[in-house]
Amino acid sequence: ERRSGSLQRKSALFSCVTGQKQIHCHENWSLSPEEFEIWDRLYRIRESDGIKEPVLPQSRFETLENLEEVSKREEEATHELSLSEWRIWQNRPFPTAMVDHSDRCYHFISLMEMIDLMRDEQGDCSYELEIQPHLRIEDVNVQRNKSHLSTTTST
Amino acid sequence: LLGSLQRLKAAVHYTVGCLCQDVAEDQDVQFSKQTIAAISEITFRQCENFAKDLEMFARHAKRTTVTTEDVKLLARRSSSLLKYITQKSEEITSSHTEQKEKK
Repeated sequence: ERRSGSLQRKSALFSCVTGQKQIHCHENWSLSPEEFEIWDRLYRIRESDGIKEPVLPQSRFETLENLEEVSKREEEATHELSLSEWRIWQNRPFPTAMVDHSDRCYHFISLMEMIDLMRDEQGDCSYELEIQPHLRIEDVNVQRNKSHLSTTTST
Repeated sequence: LLGSLQRLKAAVHYTVGCLCQDVAEDQDVQFSKQTIAAISEITFRQCENFAKDLEMFARHAKRTTVTTEDVKLLARRSSSLLKYITQKSEEITSSHTEQKEKK
């Protein structure tokens, strides 16, 4: 019941944007009292809702000094949105509405597909076997560490 | 064309292998060959993303030559990464001017 109510209120909110007589309420950057009331009643997450506030993971570099401020969050009270929990779904393009998938999105999908294909491999790596005959030693910086060539080619 | 693509991938794969070896020794972990293969394919494809962005950034500034300013824009989303890249850029610039002065 709450859901259908929410849909109605949502359309009421949208009509506020398009409706002639309510346009004045958008002169401010903030919500009008009526909008606030709608937000407060239908969308605002409260403790009593029994759901945790969604938060995005913060970027962190393992190999660099991290400048980004780490905001102290009460981990208990928040639900960190996961970008890896549903990885097995990501080897194919998901449907789109208005925005097409980008090139980097397609790269991501192909990589997930490649990882899927390699998941059951034991020992020998098909990618390595396919690619290694094409290696020209003049393309790479061999000075760095000579022992590495032998470790990557052995067994 | 396919041959040159494979050759590039092979060079990336080799170098990624070396870098992962360093990390493995440093962190005392092991990478499976499949992990190294996946990282090198990611790196290879990321080069395409970078190349296209760099070209667009340069064009946006009405240039046809990509400069270090364009490279810095690639790192804009993280202040940590941007700081690191900017420092490297300054190091490179100063070592270039030193070399010129020697000549």
